[in-house]
Amino acid sequence: MGLGFMIGVFGVLILSHAAYSTIQYRGLLKIMEEEFSGPPMNVVLELLLGFFFCIWAALTVPGNFLSIHPESEENRIVSLSANLDFMIFNHRAKVFPLEIDMKLKH
Amino acid sequence: MISKTEESQLNRLENQVDNGGGGAWEYLCLVRKLKVRRSEKVLKHGLSILNDAKQRSALGPEEWTLYEQLALAAMDCHCPDVAKDCIKVLQKKFPESKRVGRLEGMLLEAKGSWAEAEKAYSSLLEDNPLDQVIHKRRVAMAKAQGNVSGAIEWLNKYLEIFMADHDAWRELAEIYVSLQMYKQAAFCYEELILSQPTVPLFHLAYADVLYTLSGLENLQTAKKYYASTIDLTGGRNTRALLGICLCTSAIAQLSKGRNKEDKESPELQSLAATALEKDYKQRASDKLSLLTSALRSLKI
Repeated sequence: MGLGFMIGVFGVLILSHAAYSTIQYRGLLKIMEEEFSGPPMNVVLELLLGFFFCIWAALTVPGNFLSIHPESEENRIVSLSANLDFMIFNHRAKVFPLEIDMKLKH
Repeated sequence: MISKTEESQLNRLENQVDNGGGGAWEYLCLVRKLKVRRSEKVLKHGLSILNDAKQRSALGPEEWTLYEQLALAAMDCHCPDVAKDCIKVLQKKFPESKRVGRLEGMLLEAKGSWAEAEKAYSSLLEDNPLDQVIHKRRVAMAKAQGNVSGAIEWLNKYLEIFMADHDAWRELAEIYVSLQMYKQAAFCYEELILSQPTVPLFHLAYADVLYTLSGLENLQTAKKYYASTIDLTGGRNTRALLGICLCTSAIAQLSKGRNKEDKESPELQSLAATALEKDYKQRASDKLSLLTSALRSLKI
């Protein structure tokens, strides 16, 4: 978790550095009175790098993904809950007394 | 509806608590959430928490829910004294509470004094005539006294008002099946499937009832519902696989003379048989020979 987090922070730093470079580049173009068509190649590369780092961190840091299929091994329904609203107490447990004497002590 | 992960979590916690590993409060919360009926264990571990003053004060306001859960478990294990003590504590804390009144009624029921319980429930219903749980307790009381037709009558009246209560539909279906009134049971299961189409166990029960009713259309519909159960459980329900094999052979027997358009492709049965054999080989390999001989006799 530590490594993923650090890579995420690193990715955010790279993105902010790319943004700063682009702003500087635009300022330079304004001085030279040229059109701003797009950021230079190295800034684009930096953007892609920062993007991949951030995505990787976002996928690994939160943990394992849970299955969404209703028929997968974890999610399949194995039994229904006992219908406790209609529970009756008139069953055979009357003749099986509990071994330990249970009392509420206070 | 208990999923596989929840079941394994419950079993793990149960083992842990039984062997003295602590975690009794999580176990009790999980039992309450999943609505399973493990009354002996709840009684044992609940008493161990409540009898220890330090653990009791650590619970805070959840203490009263535990008292209620413990009272129900005590009634189920036939310890009416424990239940009476719990209800007394709850009464002291919540004097005019309907929930505690309901618990008192259930205690009378558990002790067997049906007339007094009936009086208690009617007085509670006077104040609040639309209390669902009290209506259901009246049905349960009729069932406990052996008056199954009375239970059916009460339950039908209840379902006329509260049509969306799927627990009640399920209870009615089970009562009808116990009385062998399969057509009515099929109707109840249809209501259940309509309201909860993703629970495979209702499809399975409906298919079982249709297979029991027999007759060509019923068998074909039963086969479809066994197939949908297999779809919803990812092929891991043995009963549905066996159901497909039985349905196909029953349909073949019934339509032997007719020679209609043969749209019954034998693929489904052979696939189900293969899946069954694989499952048996993996889980119970000593019974595999029984299975293969049974399947062979079905393929006439």
